[in-house]
Amino acid sequence: MSARATGAGVRYGPLVAALAALALAVALVSLMVGYARLDVPAALADAFAGRSTAAAVVLEQIRLPRAALGATVGFSLGLAGAALQGLLRNPLADPGVIGVSGGAALGAVVVFYSGLAGAFALAMPLGGVAGAVVAALLLYALVGRGAGTMTLILAGVTVNSFAGALTALALNLSPNPYAAYEIMFWLMGSLADRSLPQLWLALPLTIAGWALLLASAPALDALTLGEDTAASLGFDLGRLRAQLVAGAALAVGAAVAVTGAIGFVGLVAPHLLRPLVGNRPGRLLLVSGLGGAIILLIADIAVRLIPVHPELKLGVATALIGAPLLYSLIDRMRKEA
Amino acid sequence: MGLAGKRPQAAHGSFFLPCAAGEGDRAKRGGGWGALLLAALVAIASPAFAKPQRVVSLNLCADELALRLADPGVVKSVTWLSQDSRSANMAAKAAALPANDGHAEEALAYDPDLVLVGPFADPASVALLKQVGAPVVEVGAPQTFDGVRRQIRDVAASLGEPERGEALIAELDARLARVAVDLSRPRLKAVVLRPNGFTVGPGSLVDEILTRAGLDNLAARLDIAADQQVPLEVVALLGADLLILDRDENGAPSLADAALDHPAIAALAGRMTIVSLPSRLWTCGGPEVAEAVERLAASAAAARARRATQ
Repeated sequence: MSARATGAGVRYGPLVAALAALALAVALVSLMVGYARLDVPAALADAFAGRSTAAAVVLEQIRLPRAALGATVGFSLGLAGAALQGLLRNPLADPGVIGVSGGAALGAVVVFYSGLAGAFALAMPLGGVAGAVVAALLLYALVGRGAGTMTLILAGVTVNSFAGALTALALNLSPNPYAAYEIMFWLMGSLADRSLPQLWLALPLTIAGWALLLASAPALDALTLGEDTAASLGFDLGRLRAQLVAGAALAVGAAVAVTGAIGFVGLVAPHLLRPLVGNRPGRLLLVSGLGGAIILLIADIAVRLIPVHPELKLGVATALIGAPLLYSLIDRMRKEA
Repeated sequence: MGLAGKRPQAAHGSFFLPCAAGEGDRAKRGGGWGALLLAALVAIASPAFAKPQRVVSLNLCADELALRLADPGVVKSVTWLSQDSRSANMAAKAAALPANDGHAEEALAYDPDLVLVGPFADPASVALLKQVGAPVVEVGAPQTFDGVRRQIRDVAASLGEPERGEALIAELDARLARVAVDLSRPRLKAVVLRPNGFTVGPGSLVDEILTRAGLDNLAARLDIAADQQVPLEVVALLGADLLILDRDENGAPSLADAALDHPAIAALAGRMTIVSLPSRLWTCGGPEVAEAVERLAASAAAARARRATQ
């Protein structure tokens, strides 16, 4: 692709600042949008004054976690997508497409419906992380290094459908009659009525994941020169792989445990922003994370504004944008091949 | 083989089974109007013989009515849902019986002379049951107290136990009559939150239970259907005095039930009285709705007392 040339005009610092400002603005809009008429300034005043009025409770306990999770989960997905694409040197590597999100959903489902979630506070996000790690290792065993796009996608389809089947099985084994109907949430994701404690539980693992992924930027840039060159520059590729898989599993696993698997964000964000950073995968990381946050927040605002009841799952909204893009990407790659 | 084995029983059935569903089929098979007349005569002359002896229930609500009304040993199988004392009212009796998953094939294994199915039974299952000649009675989901009484009466009749049905209705009415509601004071405003964030609007049994307990169902102001999902923030901002949580005490976790544990609800506890009512008391329109009314009326009285002291 010849995007390297077109990206030369955009400077990195201002781009990051602009995206961060946009993400913040969309998060504020997300706080304003809801199903009930809420006087946000008054609710804010109540919340700061420590008055637990109904309005303050709605703002603090319902809207704030929703907006904050939209931003952090979107950031995780966008960042993990960019990192995996840099590692596998393949623009189709998205945590949803390659099965990492599906594995995380399975891990979270097993922990939640077996009752393990009540055992200790971090059980749910750790379950998601464990599922994501297993999916990533399975995928890596199938794909190895330098595998073609076809192998990657087929491996992803395999891991994804296997994880989906096991998720359905786990839900069916639950003695709770509602459980079997909850597969939509785990496979499509939603931010509806999430809570502050869920945000606090997911955040430490999420931030650890972000740190691992963002720290890999120099190595990812070196990797564009080829594995041998990167190695000769002093980058340990085995360590880089372990770092990226761990980072993606932590960020995506913790996110999916709270919101279910939301597809395509990790595909769309890097794709849209890659030209703006001159095809440098290291620089794409932070930018793509911010882009993912913006995309997910907009999708979550959209599902609340579209008058469909019950509320659309987030994965529906992201797939409506992402699936045509994935299609066009594959089409372009086929023509270039 | 199943059919061949059934034939003598079916012939018996046409004599001894005077009840509604399946009667037409049986009469035709058994030889037309003569058999029907004979069956009716036998039924009037000796009601004891009219009782079905092998009843299978394929629905939780039907399970409970059958176990309340039928003689011991008559009900051969109930659904697995009825066997959990946390989510069913007749679990002690149900646990002693073989459980089924609500499939027609399972019912046929008992060579039943009455099969009770629920309002959402698979039409193909019901058709299969009728095809092999098993009498099927559908237990509905009554939406009023009158409907509850009618349903008890209908199921009692199909079981050949009309007196027990009337006794059950009389007990229900007596308990309801004892619930004193002070109509001189304005009703407390209440809203129901069920698993998955559903609430219950007007024209439903739950609405009537609330009204009978002296409460004003706020969902009536939301312009919603009888049973609809409502966002939690709408519930929080309705300004209810009582928030009634419909809790399934099943014990196994689900997202649907977790919706009732949202911290926003606990945060609102200072502003409204939060009441948990077990699902088993008002999921089925059985006589247990009397207990739902009693508990809600007591909660309303407690909420009033609490407000008076504040």
